[in-house]
Amino acid sequence: MLEYVYILPLLSFAVAGLILAFGRWLPLKGASAGILVAAWGFSQGLMLFVKAIQGTITLPYEMSIPWFSFGGNQATLGVYVDGLTIAMLIVVTAVSLLVQIYSTGYMHGDPRFKRFYCYLSLFTASMLGVTLTNNMMVFFMCWELVGVCSYLLIGFWFEKQSAAYAGKKAFITTKLGDLGFLVGLMVLFYATGTFEISKIQELAHAGMIPAAAAGAAGILMFLGAAGKSAQFPLFIWLPDAMEGPSPVSALIHAATMVAAGVYMVARLYAVYALSPIAMDTVAWTGAITAFMAASLALTCFDLKRVLAFSTVSQLGYMMMALGVGGFTAGMFHLTTHAYFKALLFLAAGSVIHAVHTNDMREMGGLRHKMPITYITFLLGTLALCGIPPFAGYFSKDEVLAAALARNPVLFAIGAMAAAMTAFYMARALVMTFHGKPKDAHKHDHAHESPAVMTGPLILLGAVSVVSGFVLTRHEMFEHLVNFEGALPFELHHVNHSAVALFSSIVAALSMSLGVWLYKARPDIPAACRETFSPIVNMLEKRYWLDAFFLKLVDIGDSLSRFMFSFDFNFLDQIAIDGWAWLTLKLSKIQGWLDDHVVDAALNATGTITMSAGRMARLAQTGLVQNYLLFVAIAVSIFAAIAFAG
Amino acid sequence: MTLSYYLALSGLLFTIGLFGVLTRRNVIGILMSIELMLNAANINFVAFNRFLYPGQYAGQLNAIFIITLAAAEVVVGLALVMAIYKNIKSVYVEDYNILKG
Amino acid sequence: MSLLSLIVVTPLIGALLILAIPGTRTKLIQGVALVFSALTLLLTGYLYAAFDKTVVLMQFVEKLSWIPAFNINYCVGVDGLSVALVTLTGLLTMLAIIYSFNITVRIKEFFFWFLLLEVGMLGVFVALDFFLFYVFWELTLVPMYFLIGVWGGPKKEYAAIKFFLFTLFGSLLMLLGILALYFNSMPHTFDMMELIKQGSLLPRAMQIWIFLALYVGFAIKIPAFPFHTWLPLAHVEAPTGVSVILAGVMLKMGTYGIMRFSFPALPEATKWFMPFLIVIAIINIVYGAFCAMAQKDLKKMVAYSSVNHMGYCMLGMTAMSGIGWNGAVLQMITHGLITGSLFFLVGVIYDRAHTRDIDAFGGLAAKFPVYAGLMIIQVMASLGLPGLAGFVGEFLCFLGAFNVWPYYVAVGTIGILVTAAFFLRMIEKVFLGPFNEKWAALKDIGFREMVAIVPLVLLTVIIGVWPKFCLDLIDPTITYLVGMIK
Repeated sequence: MLEYVYILPLLSFAVAGLILAFGRWLPLKGASAGILVAAWGFSQGLMLFVKAIQGTITLPYEMSIPWFSFGGNQATLGVYVDGLTIAMLIVVTAVSLLVQIYSTGYMHGDPRFKRFYCYLSLFTASMLGVTLTNNMMVFFMCWELVGVCSYLLIGFWFEKQSAAYAGKKAFITTKLGDLGFLVGLMVLFYATGTFEISKIQELAHAGMIPAAAAGAAGILMFLGAAGKSAQFPLFIWLPDAMEGPSPVSALIHAATMVAAGVYMVARLYAVYALSPIAMDTVAWTGAITAFMAASLALTCFDLKRVLAFSTVSQLGYMMMALGVGGFTAGMFHLTTHAYFKALLFLAAGSVIHAVHTNDMREMGGLRHKMPITYITFLLGTLALCGIPPFAGYFSKDEVLAAALARNPVLFAIGAMAAAMTAFYMARALVMTFHGKPKDAHKHDHAHESPAVMTGPLILLGAVSVVSGFVLTRHEMFEHLVNFEGALPFELHHVNHSAVALFSSIVAALSMSLGVWLYKARPDIPAACRETFSPIVNMLEKRYWLDAFFLKLVDIGDSLSRFMFSFDFNFLDQIAIDGWAWLTLKLSKIQGWLDDHVVDAALNATGTITMSAGRMARLAQTGLVQNYLLFVAIAVSIFAAIAFAG
Repeated sequence: MTLSYYLALSGLLFTIGLFGVLTRRNVIGILMSIELMLNAANINFVAFNRFLYPGQYAGQLNAIFIITLAAAEVVVGLALVMAIYKNIKSVYVEDYNILKG
Repeated sequence: MSLLSLIVVTPLIGALLILAIPGTRTKLIQGVALVFSALTLLLTGYLYAAFDKTVVLMQFVEKLSWIPAFNINYCVGVDGLSVALVTLTGLLTMLAIIYSFNITVRIKEFFFWFLLLEVGMLGVFVALDFFLFYVFWELTLVPMYFLIGVWGGPKKEYAAIKFFLFTLFGSLLMLLGILALYFNSMPHTFDMMELIKQGSLLPRAMQIWIFLALYVGFAIKIPAFPFHTWLPLAHVEAPTGVSVILAGVMLKMGTYGIMRFSFPALPEATKWFMPFLIVIAIINIVYGAFCAMAQKDLKKMVAYSSVNHMGYCMLGMTAMSGIGWNGAVLQMITHGLITGSLFFLVGVIYDRAHTRDIDAFGGLAAKFPVYAGLMIIQVMASLGLPGLAGFVGEFLCFLGAFNVWPYYVAVGTIGILVTAAFFLRMIEKVFLGPFNEKWAALKDIGFREMVAIVPLVLLTVIIGVWPKFCLDLIDPTITYLVGMIK
């Protein structure tokens, strides 16, 4: 059972290749293969879960094979399974399976249907890799791979300029966070001497990692988590990522990939727990994100973007929970959230599939046309808002309780975010499904989606209703997913029932307010938009975060232009070609000197010799008699000298 | 008769020959003047032999050699003259100036 | 004749054979070039297989006296540092020759020079005698000069002369360094292994001078900032196959030289130079990436990304540890595979569209799925995507250097981000978005091009998934070398 768990990601990888290569000959253009494997994976996950609850398997389980060695270190490929892994495994396989079933309807007739399933399988494989791996190096690899799948799937309809742009934006923004992850990973490696999670945990529990190193590693790696899990200030990519097909939004940008950051923090919780600073960073970033994103959802008219902001906000919740020491609470929220948010996205996808628009202002009155979608969306909304006894109620309550135990301010922020969540979800629900149709043409053409799409909705709806209740029975989830180490700070005592009561009342009130406002008095929100236009403007500009990052990109661009201009104009043309130019000039000077000094001197010698020769030539008459005369004269002179001597 | 008469005769002959060589324009004339100078030398050889070493014949022998040589010289000289004449069509030495610098 | 000599001689025979064929018989010339490069590849493949992974010292050593008066020997051998590079050279040359079948002018001369170039490159990687090394080093220069200068683009003469003078300048300094080593050795020798033993005995100042002289020679080849400006020009002007060799193999000669000789032989100077080298490496990474981002020309972008990637390589070298050095060597090989294939891919589109302007395209992914797929895989590999070859080397380089230079490395990570940014922007502009109808008549990638590119893509994936395949060869030697230096 456990021994074969490594097959899960490998099989998904294989099936991705299979679909790409042979998809056209497979039933449903390869979708069948992807669904089968996902179903098998889900059954495995479920069995593991049941066995873990029953206690018939021993956790944690670890298995690895050597991968490669580098300079005396050994990198391994392997799996590490504990309660946390199993919780995540179920989320990934379940959502992946349902999304793949749903997509056969949603993506029906798309020219790149086959490729879509290839990407989905690749994504599932990578995500399973993130979930199951036993070491942080492979974790990082799969982490990046899910990023690429996200890039490919966001830009799936790449003919749309905005989709291509959104994919790039997502990739680069998360990559920015990953730089922190990379550096953090290196800090961690040199603090522990290993990438293996079990060894890191062991060392952390034994207090063998210096708090400073743990803090540095924790905060740096949290940057990566902030990118992936769309935390402040890197959440800007997630709303744009809604350009991708809705099933993708459900799978990647709601349930699994964006939860990977949370999962990473949980995975290395032992390290985080060594450093109060790291914990506080996580908690406060989470709280700020939860609040900010919830506020951004208030003014948004794009249905999917409302859900995206809601996702960001809920991820903030999870982070906050982890940061305040609520390990189980955070992971519990991750689990329940995955189901109901996937549900909401799929339902939204169903709506969009029917009306071909994302804009809530063009919807309305759809509840009669699409009853199943409406009911399931309603269930998801109730779960998200934290209305008892739906799933979100249980998990959100635990998160808030954990926050209160650590710091009342965090609790207050969380509660405000919860109130806003209930409000904007009510708004979205009413605007989409209630009231009068605003666009008669679109309304007329709308119809309920096919069974392959509504089936997963119903399943997820059921899970959203019962999962919170079921998982808290006999503290089932807590037994599975808990943190045994010590926290770096003291927690206050908290009355759980009071918090639960408080949060559900807040949610219920806020939701009622939202329903009432948008159903009965839509003029009031409109008036509010007018009155608070500066605030609305700020929210629509997303706190100018986009502008800030675009400015960064601009700076990068100018920097690159400057550097290239330096490279070409100075370094190449002046510093290097300058040498050539200088050499040429010098050679010209040398040439002149050569012509006018050295050569001239040489020529002068020649000239002198020539003229001497020319004079001597005069004596050469060519007449023998002259020569003889000279001889005679010379002989006479010598004779005279001889006789005179 | 003393040696000095012979020497004077010889000197005279040589001078005439030299004069002839230096002044004649005709190359044949120059050859003839050379003969005069050779014979002047012959007279010297014979005269010195007769007066200084009467019992010996080296001087006479040399004179005979020179006569032979003179004959050979004339042969070669005239052949050269003929060759030159063929090229230059002139027997006057002032035309023989191809060595002029 | 030993295996290594056979490897070096085989392309030489091919080159001479081509000289003997009339220039009009182009098919025959291409065939001979292909056969001999394939033969070389087979031999290098055999070398790769026969190489004993457990031995850290030189293998397949052959030593013959060459010029005894100056104690110059013909001495060749390979260890874990060079064996993979030899195989890489064999592979890239053959693929480049296959790709270069589209050359239409002066075919005879082209393939002659190409095979001669291969002789030089292989020789550099196997030579163990410094004199021999220098001879091979210079031997690569002349063919490259002609290959760029005759078959290049519009500014080919300028590019060729610049490349030639630049590298010649470096190699002359290198020669000075070699001679200094020779005259300081006792007895005078050019034997690299012997010089490595003796080099550390030299006084520190002397070591530094020699190191600098050698470094300039190597740095120009790498190319390290500020000696890199010949590279974009040469790449842009060179024909596709030549660009591939230039980026894939010749740049590695610089880093190889430093790792093979400068570091082990001159430990004092190495210690002294490290603070400079890390700065240069970081400049290469960040500055190269930024320069690439400013490019409108696809090929120039890839060329500048080479500057960036060789920066990773130098970063790994500065680690002075097994991790970093493994990364550096692996990075050399993977960069050869990845950037080589990127140049091929750029060549493919240039052959069709006759432009490389990034802004001129758009939406090609819809029309050319195979081409786009290959390009995206290789671009992803180049920007260090895990699961593809680029990641492992890059990661090890960073990891190794982080131990020694944490802050520099943290700055260096910016390079990763910028690389991702410009490559993704390129993909967005060229492949995504609405299809530019101007290119409707173009054909997708052809068979010949696939033959040249697909092996590289496959290797990229294989090394990415199973780096053991490469690292097992490298690791023992590197561990030994690092231990020796420390």
